[in-house]
Amino acid sequence: MKIGDILSHTAATYPDHTAVTHHDKSISYRELQRESEKLAHYLKELSLSEGARVGIFMENSIDYVISYFAVFKAGLVAVPLNTTLSYRQLSYIISDCQAEVLLVHARYQRMLAKFFESQPALKCIISDRILKVKLPHTIMETLPHILEADLSPSDNIDKQTVIKNIDEEIVLQTPRELAAIFYTSGSTGKSKGVMLSHRNLIANTVGTIEYLKLTVQDSVIVILPFYYIYGNSLLLTHVMAGGRLVIDNRFMYAEMILDTMETEKVTGFSGVPSNFMILLNKSTFPQRKFEHLRYFTQAGGAMAPDVIRRLYKLFPHKEIYIMYGQTEASPRVTYLPPELLVDKLGSVGIEVPGVKVKIIKENGEEAATNEVGEIVVGGDSVMMGYWNQPEEQKEVLKNGWLYTGDLAKRDEDGMIFIAGRKKEIIKSGGNRISVKEVEECLLANENIIEAAVLGVKDDVFGEAVKAVIVLKKGYQINLKDIQKYCRQTLAEYKIPRYVEFMDSLPKHKTGKINKLALMEN
Amino acid sequence: MEKDNLRKEIKDFIIETFLFGDESESLQDSDSFMQTGIIDSTGILEVTGFIEEKYNITIENEEMTPNNLDSVENIVNFIVRKTNG
Repeated sequence: MKIGDILSHTAATYPDHTAVTHHDKSISYRELQRESEKLAHYLKELSLSEGARVGIFMENSIDYVISYFAVFKAGLVAVPLNTTLSYRQLSYIISDCQAEVLLVHARYQRMLAKFFESQPALKCIISDRILKVKLPHTIMETLPHILEADLSPSDNIDKQTVIKNIDEEIVLQTPRELAAIFYTSGSTGKSKGVMLSHRNLIANTVGTIEYLKLTVQDSVIVILPFYYIYGNSLLLTHVMAGGRLVIDNRFMYAEMILDTMETEKVTGFSGVPSNFMILLNKSTFPQRKFEHLRYFTQAGGAMAPDVIRRLYKLFPHKEIYIMYGQTEASPRVTYLPPELLVDKLGSVGIEVPGVKVKIIKENGEEAATNEVGEIVVGGDSVMMGYWNQPEEQKEVLKNGWLYTGDLAKRDEDGMIFIAGRKKEIIKSGGNRISVKEVEECLLANENIIEAAVLGVKDDVFGEAVKAVIVLKKGYQINLKDIQKYCRQTLAEYKIPRYVEFMDSLPKHKTGKINKLALMEN
Repeated sequence: MEKDNLRKEIKDFIIETFLFGDESESLQDSDSFMQTGIIDSTGILEVTGFIEEKYNITIENEEMTPNNLDSVENIVNFIVRKTNG
């Protein structure tokens, strides 16, 4: 089985069920299968290299879901792209993975126009409508035109693709072949392409469906972008379970999301800590009942126990799943069973079915109960490696085990509690931000002598980026100037929200910046 | 309240805060923040915080809608309605 077969299976089993709803548009599994096959057919005819990478630069939409499955059905590799990246970062990623096709939404063409010409590997660009930018040696096509094609065979859903049971057997039948590359911030500052195989993604999907008890009756409100591995997990789990994805990209107006949740009678809500903070503090969420809602899931960084408690008090009869994961683990690693939420508040729980977790001390031995060590993950969900970065890969993948860089301990009941991070990564609003990348950006400014970047506690984001800066003598600059400067290189979510100016930074005897002292400040 | 002044104040705030003073992005008064992606879910809280403080009004949770807040023009009309109402 491969990822494209997940859709074929569901389309064969529940052809008339709605797969995706996006405002007033819906698509059934039968139609989704047909449209994906048409696009896959087009992609196959393009004479691309074997396993060619296809960038998907689209906002959450029915187009995205069609495109995503089409890539797999054509035997290609999907590269979901963060639509908030700066054009430099985007350009780097497209060149790094040597994408041969880009599936884009025309609303982003201004950004794309800046780097199109520097991408010789690009053979084809497919957009939702005709783009103004033209490239002489690149095929420019539109998705509506491709989907107009009449491909009758795809209407006949193959009953052979029906899977009797979604269980570990499926995982064993899935090849360890590259399916997708998800770019994520690394601690070194360079974006890392996390290579996930069909087996990685399917194993994690099967395990997640099991603990969330997802069925064909489920429908989830999707506010998380599909290019983010947590959003990708919503996509795969619901399509595999035959459930429904209800897309709403308007989270900046939380009331609209809440209305959609009620009118569409969704059974699930999945968010990162900042989503829950906004809902709890800046919306009518606490006053609503959500009669059809069965569960909440939370991942993407630690959520304060007080916030979890507030959520539980408001909705004591809904299942609340606190989860931990990493892109490199496809992504779900642990979950706290909802019935233990109160007793084990602050814990990220136990292993997702099919995932193995060890807590390893610096000396390589397993930590004893309540002893802190690094979370090390094993099982079929562990990534294949980092694209083009064998050295970075060696640091985190050892004998098939993933060294996460996250520190944790297990209590006497086997529950895991996160204790901190080994690597210098800030987790803000569900995004991972490399401290080094922001520091390097700041230090590239000739008027900045020293810079240290920290994650500081933030009620909304969990953590926010703070820069502590030493300027050249006589030079003056303010927060806005720093933000404006960083914006040339960094994605919006990486730009420091706070800046402090100092005459010099505290140092260790070795000369290294004493970040602990800065944090205590 | 003078609409033109209000428009300028709101626009200046948006350009300064979200476009970091870069006027070349040519923000039109009717541009949807959601469509253009200028502001995200936490950015809108900065906008409402600014409006509440500067114009001494309270924005209810129910009023956090695109009709009221999704463009410079919508914000201007919303403030005028609130202050006159």
